[in-house]
Amino acid sequence: MNIELTTEQKALQLEVREYMKTIMTPELLQEMKIPEYKEGGGPEFRKQYARMGADGWIGLSWSKELGGREMTHVEQYIFTDEVVRSGFAYPFLTTEAVTPVIAANANDKVRDEVVGGVRDGKVVIAIGYSEPNAGTDLASLTTKAERDGDDWIINGQKMWTSLANFADYVWLAARTDPDASKKHKGLTMFLVPTTLEGFSHTPVHTLGVRTNATYFSDIRLPDKYRVGEINGGWKLITGQLNIERLSLFTHGQVDSLYQGVCEWAAATPSPAGGKLIEQSWVQHNLARVKSGLEVVKLICWKQAWSMDQGALDMADASVAKVYGSEFFVELYRLLLEVMGQAGAIATDSPGAVLKGKLEFRWRVGSILTFGGGANEVQRDIIAMAGLWMPRTR
Amino acid sequence: MDFTISEELGSVQQLAQQILADFTGVDQLGIIEQQQERIDGKLWHALAEAGLLGLDIEESMGGTDMGFYSLAMLCEEVGRTVAPVPVIPVLVSTAGTLRRFASPAQKEQWLPGIANGSSLLSAALEEYNNDDPAKPACSATAMEGGYAISGTKICVSSAGSAKRILLSATTGDELVVALVDPLAAGVTLTPQVVTSGETCHELQLENVQVPGDDIIATGGKALEAMEWAHQATRTALCAMAVGVCDKMMRITGQYTSEREQFGRAIATFQAVSHRVADCYIDVECLRLVTQQAASRLDQGRPAREAVAIAKIWCGDVTHRVSQASQHCHGGTGVDRDYPLHRFCLLARQIELSAGSSALLTAQLGQDICAAYT
Ligand SMILES: Cc1cc2nc3c(=O)[nH]c(=O)nc-3n(C[C@H](O)[C@H](O)[C@H](O)COP(=O)(O)OP(=O)(O)OC[C@H]3O[C@@H](n4cnc5c(N)ncnc54)[C@H](O)[C@@H]3O)c2cc1C
Repeated sequence: MNIELTTEQKALQLEVREYMKTIMTPELLQEMKIPEYKEGGGPEFRKQYARMGADGWIGLSWSKELGGREMTHVEQYIFTDEVVRSGFAYPFLTTEAVTPVIAANANDKVRDEVVGGVRDGKVVIAIGYSEPNAGTDLASLTTKAERDGDDWIINGQKMWTSLANFADYVWLAARTDPDASKKHKGLTMFLVPTTLEGFSHTPVHTLGVRTNATYFSDIRLPDKYRVGEINGGWKLITGQLNIERLSLFTHGQVDSLYQGVCEWAAATPSPAGGKLIEQSWVQHNLARVKSGLEVVKLICWKQAWSMDQGALDMADASVAKVYGSEFFVELYRLLLEVMGQAGAIATDSPGAVLKGKLEFRWRVGSILTFGGGANEVQRDIIAMAGLWMPRTR
Repeated sequence: MDFTISEELGSVQQLAQQILADFTGVDQLGIIEQQQERIDGKLWHALAEAGLLGLDIEESMGGTDMGFYSLAMLCEEVGRTVAPVPVIPVLVSTAGTLRRFASPAQKEQWLPGIANGSSLLSAALEEYNNDDPAKPACSATAMEGGYAISGTKICVSSAGSAKRILLSATTGDELVVALVDPLAAGVTLTPQVVTSGETCHELQLENVQVPGDDIIATGGKALEAMEWAHQATRTALCAMAVGVCDKMMRITGQYTSEREQFGRAIATFQAVSHRVADCYIDVECLRLVTQQAASRLDQGRPAREAVAIAKIWCGDVTHRVSQASQHCHGGTGVDRDYPLHRFCLLARQIELSAGSSALLTAQLGQDICAAYT
């Protein structure tokens, strides 16, 4: 039992931190102020993403055969942690969650095209699971794919398809067996190039980020873009969701916010005299944040470490998801309280604290409590897998 | 970074589990509860035979020297079985402190007896409105060949059978750490019944003369000794809380899966199962911060912040898991004929011992302030 990063792990952390400073160019920071490009997709984003590919920073966890470095999960986590801290809109779901599934299941040609493209930092993939009437109950989705000779004809609507406005492909879950009694067994996965005729998207503006509604109207898709077996999609979706859950939370970014607020409170005068950080209520909030953050760090490390040891316990994965998502929301509140009214001043307005980063983080905070598997479902899993309790109804 | 429990530690844990299971049947616990002092002497002896009392005592002193982490694991198992044995006051607060800060002659005098179970020594670290043994209100005055100590310590465990009680007192602006003989002139022990069910004692000292041989440390070394004792005791309480809470939550998971109302197991109501799932999350959080604190102490690294964070979690989690467990059990949860109540009582005791969450949160906040100004 030794819960510290090794010298090599610390060196990697520093290496990535320094490298990411060269990625976050002034041009990119400027570009990210344009609402359309906040989540990536602009020319400067494309340039820097490709640079990461050229410099060998994409797909660290992949096999050597795919051009990866076969890094351990702990190393992979250190990388993720630093990239998130840097603020770069790195498409983690593309690189960590979807691409390995494609590498393992796609037709050779598509595999080379897509996996190679991702490795070079040239391909971004959007995830097309959710629909207007299929959210938490994902298996009830109705977008359909029908066989027509060597092709598939795809029709339907997806909702919340993030990055679809600039992505190169949509990783699409579609129904290929309409028999309703086989809800989970009638789904197949496809990669849909966004250049195909019949694909369109409209923006959906949320409290924080932009996402999209996407439409698939009589799209003719060659069978080579099917990934995995016909009606075998559910396994691919759930396998991917488990990996996704791991990249949802990292410690570094929120730790930076906490440190930033500490520094701000130590420099800011209190109306009661002295500095704000000398007020007991401020100290109370900072201490609550610090005690909770420590667990975020330990949970993230433990998960990565467990994956290197073999299997990640199902209940533990859900514990991390629920704890992380709910604590983040609590942390935003505790830190915003310290700032008071100034906490409500948005980025680029005069008086914004920490460039308004916390004002913004709060806006996206709740997404993680219902997204990535609603916390109620996670608690069901904890009760069943962790405590052998019966299924709720 | 490595969360592995070594094979060696794993076998210590197994051994502890086996012995503790043999002695903690409901009937046996009931019998010990009728005794004046809530210590199961036979169990203590069995732990000594197995080498488990000397986990954090050098081999040359009759211990097995497996380190502080293994001792924290023993505390966890004691918590899981609510076993009536004073592992924390005797093995952590006292033996652990003696091992690190006493002279070779003092260690020779006391540690082998603790390891083989033949003598009990306890510690008195708390006073009224003061859980910090590094800042005691008790006073010491130097005298020919030792110190005279006066003041009051509270909630002292196992005081009735202890040969010596480790405590601290202030002399001028220095600290003295001493072993006090409870039979010495000027010592008054008054029984104090506490929530856990144990009869502790208020320890009053009136000009108690402590010979030089029983002075463990003075000055900077005494301060270091009491800081260590404080951190180690808090961490051991956290470890015990992990065992207590883990078990309470499992009892509750099982009970709600069997108990039926409205024609179905109450665990099939999401509101019920989620309350238990929340306990599961809480216990995992407490386990992680406790492992961090214990491994830092084990390796002799600075642990002040890690320990404070662990004890804050400990106070919150013992409270929440205990209340959720009682609630989900309905009346059975508060029935003294059902095992849960012992865990709830011990959880509350641990929560209030050696610093509450509110106090520690305030102290951690002050430390954060100091680090940034
Ligand atoms: C900004 C943003 C980006 C997104 N990006 C993507 C993306 O790129 N690709 C994609 O496919 N999807 C994406 N999503 C969609 C996201 O995955 C869904 O919002 C999520 O699955 C929840 O579905 P829903 O919104 O339909 O809510 P619902 O499923 O209607 O759930 C609402 C609430 O109902 C309750 N509930 C639901 N089921 C249960 C149950 N079994 N037990 C108890 N309570 C329950 C929970 O409280 C839940 O929070 C995104 C969403 C947002 C907001």
